[in-house]
Amino acid sequence: MSGAAVIGWALRTPLGTTVDDVVRRLLAGERTDGALAAAPLDGSRHARFLGPLGLLALETAHEAVATAGITGSERVGVFAAVGGLRVEWSELVPVLAAQRDDGTGAWAAGLDRIHPFWMLRHLSNNAHALLSADLGARGEGATFGGATAGAQAIASAIRALDAETIDAAVVLAYDTLRGPESLTDLDARGMLAIGPRAAPYDEASAGYVAGEATAAVVLVRDGSNVLARVTAASGADGSPGEPNPATIARVASRVVRRQDRLVVDGAARTVRAADHAERAALAPLVGDNAPLTAITAAMGALGAATSLVQLIAIGELLRRDRLPPIAGLARPSPGALRPIAVPEAADRRAALCISTGAPGLAAALRVEVSS
Amino acid sequence: MTTAVITGVGAASAFGIGTRALFAGLAEGRAAVAPIRGFDARTFPTRVAGEVPLFGDALLARLPPHDPTWDRDGRLRDRKVVFALLAAAEAWAHAGCGAAEHGAALSIALGLEQAFLDDFLPILGPSGFDWATEPSLALPRVRFRSTVGLAAAAVRELLALRGSTVVHASACAAGGLAVAHAASLVVRGAAEVVICGGSDSMINPLGIGGMSRVGAPSPRADDVDACRPFDRRRDGLAMGEGAAMFVVESETRARARGARPLARVLGWGSTQDAYRATAPRPDGASARRAMETALRRAKLTGADVGYVNAHGTGTHLNDPAEARAIRDAIGAHPAVSSIKGAIGHLMAASGAIELAACLLPFERDLLPGTAHHHDRDPAVELDVIGPEPRATRVDVVVSNSFGFGGQNVSVVLGRPT
Repeated sequence: MSGAAVIGWALRTPLGTTVDDVVRRLLAGERTDGALAAAPLDGSRHARFLGPLGLLALETAHEAVATAGITGSERVGVFAAVGGLRVEWSELVPVLAAQRDDGTGAWAAGLDRIHPFWMLRHLSNNAHALLSADLGARGEGATFGGATAGAQAIASAIRALDAETIDAAVVLAYDTLRGPESLTDLDARGMLAIGPRAAPYDEASAGYVAGEATAAVVLVRDGSNVLARVTAASGADGSPGEPNPATIARVASRVVRRQDRLVVDGAARTVRAADHAERAALAPLVGDNAPLTAITAAMGALGAATSLVQLIAIGELLRRDRLPPIAGLARPSPGALRPIAVPEAADRRAALCISTGAPGLAAALRVEVSS
Repeated sequence: MTTAVITGVGAASAFGIGTRALFAGLAEGRAAVAPIRGFDARTFPTRVAGEVPLFGDALLARLPPHDPTWDRDGRLRDRKVVFALLAAAEAWAHAGCGAAEHGAALSIALGLEQAFLDDFLPILGPSGFDWATEPSLALPRVRFRSTVGLAAAAVRELLALRGSTVVHASACAAGGLAVAHAASLVVRGAAEVVICGGSDSMINPLGIGGMSRVGAPSPRADDVDACRPFDRRRDGLAMGEGAAMFVVESETRARARGARPLARVLGWGSTQDAYRATAPRPDGASARRAMETALRRAKLTGADVGYVNAHGTGTHLNDPAEARAIRDAIGAHPAVSSIKGAIGHLMAASGAIELAACLLPFERDLLPGTAHHHDRDPAVELDVIGPEPRATRVDVVVSNSFGFGGQNVSVVLGRPT
């Protein structure tokens, strides 16, 4: 599979709102509670159509575009990744307050007071539409949904670049797992950390922290000032929760090249059995001693934003020849791959970044920087 | 050069379950938008929709035999999940798929995951939602009935698919994009077989209520001819629900295994208006480019097109903009129709169900009519087919889907050789 060149990037994460801050804090082994450290600027003219996270995603995308130095045209496409509907419950509560238990008369009992733009605010492709309008980007593009939507968006952008229907692609992703409905679901599946928080790939791993983030990259076929190159793949199986390890390996094999020497940024489910199985599944592809890190250990699980945040953070770390420790790793669990406990020099120029989600979703990126 | 072909199709629409029901309804010039039955819509400003005419256990009874654990997470309570399963099962069987096709990829368009009122009413207290409450429902926890990936997961499980999965969330353009994506995978050699299509259902209080507040549906709340595409008297859309799924593979592979191609997927084009979130470009320029790109990819010109299945929502803004785009990209000569008056606007599944309707010309030399179209808007300078289908042979068909936010996709289908 051919890849694309990254010529601009930006992100907003629980660890920070600049690439520099994120990398510095990753190397310092810091952890956060998963809450974003940023809010969108006030007064956005798009506030009618997007909630705060979507507005932040637009800001992030504009920053990436500015650093890339591209302008919109018919040859620029936008590819968006959204985790799913994140309803502003505060908007619904007064509407639902007068509802009867059996839902009869729902309109007159409150739905007639719902904000006129409530439905429009929850259209899955709003960020795509508004960013396209802001930039004048009239080329091919699409919006993808789900936990691995980021990788899907990257892969689709690369296909369009390869087909030469566009010359530049803006890929943006945003997601939060911190809404009450998501937390309820994650808790029901046993994914959330309860009690003292352990790191992934640790003997005491017992759940992760829900996080949120926005990220954006600008991709071209090739060019000067290339930050990194990326290829992407995604897949799924029928699992109702996390995917089987064989699925992870199958998806990863679509981006790994023969004789690759890779650092691995793992899926970091932070459940002992799942983490162990992931490492065992990847070892035949990357080697038993491949260094293993997990940037989401520092930020929380990021859903659809994971792949883009991995691309940016790991790409910049490789550019600096540094690999971060797994934040909070105290007792590395035995098994394949080598969990990184302290920051170290990077002796390789490429990384395999894995992300997973329910139901049965897996994604892989290959990120490479030049020597 | 690899050619992608459709070898199987499945559908669920207001005409009923199955492609046969869809084709029969279109061939007979019927319209199935009717008073809403799925919930008590008496107080709503729109009270008609294109509902799939089966509910509850009667709908579930149409599913293939399955393990009870299929519904372990309540997924079958979401109609769009059930529609996707029904359509996928039909397409799979229609194409004669079996063990050799389990490696297929999945490219699927899904509607918004949605909150359902009766999920949350039990936990609504005086000061808001009490998220810690354990509701007295079958489901152990309050949650969405359907997350964005659930229908995709259900289809994968049903067909035991092992290939890649892509979930399209580009609103009304998602269905067309899902099929275009499938064809591109096959043509590039990235997948041998792709199961593709779309499913959606918003015929519930929040869906109908939300869209009503936007003002998109026709204000004629009880009129079954609510949607009148390209008609001088049009005043909005009618909501619909359903699904269409396809098996797409290379023509060489299809013929080698004895599968009958139903259509060739010759070209596709995707563009963005980059204009407004709530309105299409009035000049139709980006929609025109989508059609031009699709034809160029198909190595055809407008003169080759015999029929256009329009997006044709029946709104004031879409129809004239699309008409202009069709004239500019293709010409005024092809027959044009929209099936949204007959079955409603299926939202994320609209592109898919309309591509299924585009197989009718190749199956029966019959072009679908435009239900409730009686008095063409003078601004629409096209040969719009009236309510009755038109018997004629065409070899090239274009299907348009133009989504909220200005996402445009056009797909060119060719008669199988």
